[in-house]
Amino acid sequence: MTRSTLPLTAALALAALAHAPAAQARDASLDLVGPITDYKIWVADELDQLVADTGAFTRAVKAGDLETARALYAPTRVHYEMVEPVAELFADLDGAIDAREDDFEAGPTDPGFTGFHRIEYGLWHEGSTDGLAPIADKLLADVTDLDQRIAGLTFPPETVVGGAATLMEEVAATKVSGEEDRYSHTDLWDFRGNVDGAQKIVALTRPLIEADEPAFLAKVDENFGTIDTILAKYREGEGFVSYDKLSNHDRVVVQAAVNTLAEDLSTLRGKLGVD
Amino acid sequence: MADDTPAGFRPSRRGLLAGAGALAVGCPFAAAAASARVADAPAADRAAEAQRVPPFGPHQAGIVTPRPANGLVASFDVLAESPEALERLLRRLTERIAFLTRGGATETLDPRLPPADSGILGPEISPDALTITVSLGASLFADRDWLAPLAPRQLRAMDAFPNDALDARQCHGDIAVQICANGQDTVLHALRDIIKQMPDQMILRWMQAGSVPVVAPAADGTTASARNLMGFRDGSANPDSAEGALMDRVVWAGAPEPAWARGGSYQVVRLIRMYVERWDRTPLREQERDFGRTKITGAPLDRPGGTEADVPDYAADPEGRVTPLGSHIRRANPRTADTARNLILRRPFNYANGVTRNGQLDQGLLFICWQADLQAGFVAVQNRLNGEPMEEYFQPVGGGYFFALPGIRDADDFLGSQLVRQLRQPTPDKA
Repeated sequence: MTRSTLPLTAALALAALAHAPAAQARDASLDLVGPITDYKIWVADELDQLVADTGAFTRAVKAGDLETARALYAPTRVHYEMVEPVAELFADLDGAIDAREDDFEAGPTDPGFTGFHRIEYGLWHEGSTDGLAPIADKLLADVTDLDQRIAGLTFPPETVVGGAATLMEEVAATKVSGEEDRYSHTDLWDFRGNVDGAQKIVALTRPLIEADEPAFLAKVDENFGTIDTILAKYREGEGFVSYDKLSNHDRVVVQAAVNTLAEDLSTLRGKLGVD
Repeated sequence: MADDTPAGFRPSRRGLLAGAGALAVGCPFAAAAASARVADAPAADRAAEAQRVPPFGPHQAGIVTPRPANGLVASFDVLAESPEALERLLRRLTERIAFLTRGGATETLDPRLPPADSGILGPEISPDALTITVSLGASLFADRDWLAPLAPRQLRAMDAFPNDALDARQCHGDIAVQICANGQDTVLHALRDIIKQMPDQMILRWMQAGSVPVVAPAADGTTASARNLMGFRDGSANPDSAEGALMDRVVWAGAPEPAWARGGSYQVVRLIRMYVERWDRTPLREQERDFGRTKITGAPLDRPGGTEADVPDYAADPEGRVTPLGSHIRRANPRTADTARNLILRRPFNYANGVTRNGQLDQGLLFICWQADLQAGFVAVQNRLNGEPMEEYFQPVGGGYFFALPGIRDADDFLGSQLVRQLRQPTPDKA
């Protein structure tokens, strides 16, 4: 069973032949330039959408329009969830935009608790927009700042390629229990966003491994398909039903697909030779 | 590899131990003073690490095999929706069990890939007396039409007894995996291996790890029962697991069960939280009367100068003046001709989980027992225990009823092969 580690020269030689064996890392090459460029364009589009939608969302919050604000909460933040691997590179903004009450010792009343989930806490738990205006202003400023910082960023290949697994880890570690959107129960939107983000990365890198890794891609596609099928059952209008409507059986099936994707996609960097 | 100690300065572990032994003759502290370093790992017991418990035989290991110092029970939800998928799961589990209990080198992959193994035991896995025991829960059968007719006769979701405060997140499950080994790291390594190797087949539902204090054998070669976290010896009246005929009667499922299940065993797991602060504030005499044994030696109350091996004479104490009728051991096993059929084999572990919201220690017993007949075994015993005075000091919060598959016959067999074979028959034998 033991596979010896290929010396680098041998790995390069194999990569040159474009036939690296399965479960064997191949050499990083210029092949990734195209996918990363395409990914950056896609991320920029999502961020533009995030800024625009956050504008509408925060306007509703500040206008005291509870119903509109609630309706716009999930469809706005889904754009953030899609690009999370890159957005997380800016830890200060990620904390300000997407932290949860668990991240603060004092819980939801901690003055450092800002962003989407602080507004979610107000809209659902407190049932009011009172006092949310400064948090709304800060959220819009933060996502605008994020958009600008990412526009000027050179995307690290390991972040892009590793992002597919990162997004599945995100779901596995924080979404399955329903703790992410615990006040609004809109977790299935976030779920969808994370999965879309991972599927995008797989789609962009697929041409590079298609020839060598058909079984790997088939298994990944099958698990994405399982998640797609189950999420589709819980569609309602433009979005999703409350997370507590997810049956225990479907949760288990989705959880297994997510865990399996996290395992499989954790090898994508190696398969593409990205250290 | 990153050791920057000059060569020749740092003694090898073996040399160090040999030296320590030699020096200890003259001065017991000199060796420790000369050699002890904060960075040194605690010295391993190579003989213990090399212990191998074969996973093959008519029964699974981890039931009547000796209980090592560490153990856990992990309960999983299962994905299998067809007999073929269930067979794949059981075969995969068997492969991991065969590898992990035998030990050996872990797989080496290209470093740009995630490593194949967690690495917490290093590149070479020692067997360390590891056993992995697989049991099926009632929901595995009930939720699958093609499997339901083959369910063990008495298997059902765990009952909620009057003193229970069950937390749904710590109860039941499709499959329970019990992992035991000398070292805690070996136990945790095996659990992480199974979770990593089978993400598409099983989802972890709950897990409780525990340990048993190690006890030095006495001069006469006997070893006393280990103490639980109430400070009492636990297991004094356990049936002798070395007596094959007794185990056949008490532990191993037989004729009433479906053919595939014979040689298996009903497993009861109970997570029993103990209110240890309160217990420690209870007078010793009351503790002993509630439990029914002396605390120091485990001797029965009517033989206070004896040992835990002495048998209490309840017939001579019909009103419970010496051993109260409500005491734990007297209710659990009244030692009458009628209650001999209620024997169970207990194989528990102590657990310590941290602190509750009330600032009390979250400690207790990972109770595990095995029996051929669930109703005549644990359920009958627990029904007698309901309302016992000791209930003030503990509360079951989780667990489940499971059925351990019969053994893996040999290296060509796999767990549950008889069950799979019966599933393949056109008309399932409903036994």
